[in-house]
Amino acid sequence: MTTKRTRRIGLFAVLSVVGPGVIAASAGNDSGGISTYSVAGARYGYQMLWMMLVMTPAFVIIQEMAGRMGAVTGKGFSALIRERFGLRPTFVAMLLLLASAAATTVAEFAGVAAAMEMFGVSRYLSVPIAAAVVWLLVVRGSYRNVEKVLLALSSVFVAYIVSAFLAKPDWLEVGRALVVPSITPTAGFVALAIGLTGTTIAPWMQFLVQSNIVDKGTSASEWKLARWDVIAGALAANLVAMFIIITTATVLHPAGVQITDAAQAASALAPLAGEYATVLFAIGLLAASVLSAAVLPLTSAYATCEAFGWEAGIDRDWSEAPVFNGLYTAVIVLAAAVIMLPGLDLIAIMLLSQVVNGMMLPFLLIFMMRIINDRRIMGSHVNGALHNIFAWGTIVVAIALTTVLMGMTALGLA
Amino acid sequence: MFYLTQMLGTPVVDAAGETIGEISDIAIATGEVFPRVTSLAFLGPDKKPFMLSWRKFVEEIDEDRVRLNVPATDIRFSYLQPDEVLLHRDLLNKQIVDTQGMKVVRVNDLKLSESRNQLRLLGAEVGLRGILRGLHPVLERAVARLTRLVGRELAENLIAWNYMDLLDRDLSHVQLSVTHKRLHELHPADMADVLEQLSPSQRARVFEHLDNPAAALAVAALEDEFQADVIDDLGSQRASDILEMMDPDDAADIIGDLPYDKAEKLLRLMGVNEAAAVRALLGYREKTAGGIMTPEVTTVTEEMTVQEVIEHLREEAAENESIYYIFVVDDQARLTGVISLRDLVISEPRTPVADIVSRDVITVNPDDDQEYVAETMSKYDLLALPVVDETSTLLGIVTVDDALEVMEEESAEDLALATGSDRRFEAQDAWSWLGRKSGWLTVWLVLGVGAVWLLSAFEETFVSLIAAAFFMPLIIRLAEEISSHSLAVMIDQGSLEDRPSLGRRLVVDTLVGIGLGAVSGLIAFGMLELLGEPLRAAVTIALAVGGAVLVTAMAGALVPYVALREDGSGWRAPSALFSAGLAVVGLAVYLGLTALLDAALPA
Repeated sequence: MTTKRTRRIGLFAVLSVVGPGVIAASAGNDSGGISTYSVAGARYGYQMLWMMLVMTPAFVIIQEMAGRMGAVTGKGFSALIRERFGLRPTFVAMLLLLASAAATTVAEFAGVAAAMEMFGVSRYLSVPIAAAVVWLLVVRGSYRNVEKVLLALSSVFVAYIVSAFLAKPDWLEVGRALVVPSITPTAGFVALAIGLTGTTIAPWMQFLVQSNIVDKGTSASEWKLARWDVIAGALAANLVAMFIIITTATVLHPAGVQITDAAQAASALAPLAGEYATVLFAIGLLAASVLSAAVLPLTSAYATCEAFGWEAGIDRDWSEAPVFNGLYTAVIVLAAAVIMLPGLDLIAIMLLSQVVNGMMLPFLLIFMMRIINDRRIMGSHVNGALHNIFAWGTIVVAIALTTVLMGMTALGLA
Repeated sequence: MFYLTQMLGTPVVDAAGETIGEISDIAIATGEVFPRVTSLAFLGPDKKPFMLSWRKFVEEIDEDRVRLNVPATDIRFSYLQPDEVLLHRDLLNKQIVDTQGMKVVRVNDLKLSESRNQLRLLGAEVGLRGILRGLHPVLERAVARLTRLVGRELAENLIAWNYMDLLDRDLSHVQLSVTHKRLHELHPADMADVLEQLSPSQRARVFEHLDNPAAALAVAALEDEFQADVIDDLGSQRASDILEMMDPDDAADIIGDLPYDKAEKLLRLMGVNEAAAVRALLGYREKTAGGIMTPEVTTVTEEMTVQEVIEHLREEAAENESIYYIFVVDDQARLTGVISLRDLVISEPRTPVADIVSRDVITVNPDDDQEYVAETMSKYDLLALPVVDETSTLLGIVTVDDALEVMEEESAEDLALATGSDRRFEAQDAWSWLGRKSGWLTVWLVLGVGAVWLLSAFEETFVSLIAAAFFMPLIIRLAEEISSHSLAVMIDQGSLEDRPSLGRRLVVDTLVGIGLGAVSGLIAFGMLELLGEPLRAAVTIALAVGGAVLVTAMAGALVPYVALREDGSGWRAPSALFSAGLAVVGLAVYLGLTALLDAALPA
């Protein structure tokens, strides 16, 4: 009798909290993500698949940690950093976050430019318009309505799963690559590995998922259910990511395509969409880019204001919340301005931004680990051993990769 | 003057000159306005925490160290008392409520001062200055000097202890000074302002400490969008208790915003009478007389005497919102007249109501617009206005407080529209004026650079069509004109409901745009011909001017929809930004059309 009742309430409760995690994780499969996964598949075939398999539990666990901090404390990540570590470390953390968010926003506008150029529209036209649209979406407050449309549109990337099957890869080979680690000892490979880490476990995503949980007012007791949304979102995002690699590895790698522009990346969808591959890819890329270009500046502006005690909120105008409005406007304008620089290689910019993310990640994760293992803050909700192993593992690997890359560059191996 | 961020980590030295640790925290006694420092916490060797009494053991303190008056071996260590607050642990970097400024802020530093060997807390620094000092004192000094150069002071923003309420530490068991203002002691309207700045979980914690009547007042004072959330987060039993205590019109507003299941559940938990009143009100539309009225009315019949009416008031009507007017109804609850409290007081107790009743009652219908209701009340100087249906059955009354709220809403809308800002500018000195203006200069500069960029994309066209550049200032000027015209029209049209739909405005503005475009195209053509430009160039530019004017006019129709908030309460961003945006649109269209036409027209 009792179990039956819990189950019924349980199902309803699960449905009512679905959202923040799925949205946060979908925003992660943005232009930077798609280009990084595509390039990984095209350049190295199935070779990098095993990393995705290793990173999936790490990603799930880190997202779960962020959500748990939000539910237990009712505070955002940046507020916790400020209260636990004080002003100076917070300043550094916010610089890292802003750098990560700004770099990724640049990639989003690169995504817009690349998508629209596939329709023959100049980036000097599409990017300013996109910047204006994104800015208005946020100040006009209609962002919440548009969010769902954009999410739906960006889900066309699920097409990669179908496309992967239609491309008829050698599944045995795929399976082997998934479980047998293999590396190529070049600077390019290491840089791409950092980018892959950075785009899969993007630092700003933890801020986003945590603040979503806080805004929803999810309590520690509701977290048992709410976390499934976060976990499911993380799993779904990584599943799509793996299929992007499989598809590009099957279609583009044997043909020797290196991916220097978006049209080449789009051609991986040809087994499914034929001549419409470009259109399909462009629409998905555009929607994903616009969605994330709105989410990222907002997330970083919120987090920064929360840390320093400045007023924040999309319903506050310039005189009430000058820093908040100034920050997100600045991030959007600067990111769009970067793309307007003549002769920019869009794919390279998208990859580079993810490498920046990958380099920032471990340092923000260290903050997270110190907070989530602090019993005074988390009480009985501190990390278990498994969480600690995966999270510290990610930190160590990410720092090691960056060190190796720097070493290789310094030694001239690049 | 001492600052906590500077004191932390300072060495603690005993009477023998031996360093025995470094300061990790400072405790204050909570009962005073400027609390005394009572204990010193420090970390000894191996980070071992110690605590000692400030009064007994601290000899003196300066910037470099704290000196004790006994050797290390003679210290008797103490423990933290329940009424002590630790400055570092409980205050520094934490969010607090500034109960004087009604704001939620973060503590960047704590300022202490020494007088007669007694260290006291002056207040919490919550401004930029504290952030800068916390990052590095050199940074603070540098910025302070810079701001002095431009004639301003980098002000300290201090909040005294008696105006602080802590959010993370429960102070309810601590004896505070009489002047100490805590969040829940504020006027409900002020408390609501602060509650709106808190996160859901912080809000929930504040509500835990409020008793039901106080909670009901606070909820009623919250902005609409927070009310439903707060009620939704409370337990159903408590939520229904609080709703019961509120005026039925306020309660109905909140319940109307809740999900259906939750609303039904709460209504079922409420008392029968209260629930019935709320249900009756839920049927009326928002922003109408029905939506803002309360069904709690004091009614009497004509047969009663003044004495009976006064007794009736005492017994039954005591809890009604307004008793300044007593409404007279017949046996079918139809409104027949009104008597005022004044009439009652000055009449003989045995006078029948029929003798003093005034039958000339001003009424409104439940579907009347709330602005009309407010205007009516102001015109006739009424404290309450009865709402009746078509059979004159009395449904409820609109009280003066609700009418004032309506007026405030509507006038805020109009003011915001007319001035283009939510706040009237305060008197300001030249520097801040320059600061504001130079912000805009920068924006225009960026736009200018953008325009040059645009131009460079059309370089080829412009080599052959130099004359096209003549008309760029015209397009910019026109865009500004259109933008301000479009907004002026919007203000003229008054309330939101009266405004034409976007589609209608687009049609009208397109027609106007066609006219304007045709005229300006013709003028441009004439001028160019007069200047002796070749026919082809004149046609190209004239068409481009006409087209750009048309598109700008159409885009101008959108400006108010983009620029103004949905509820019409003000601007989303500085208004100049929108005319600038329109100018960019106009220019882009103009240049694009010129290039296109130049390519398309036969040579």
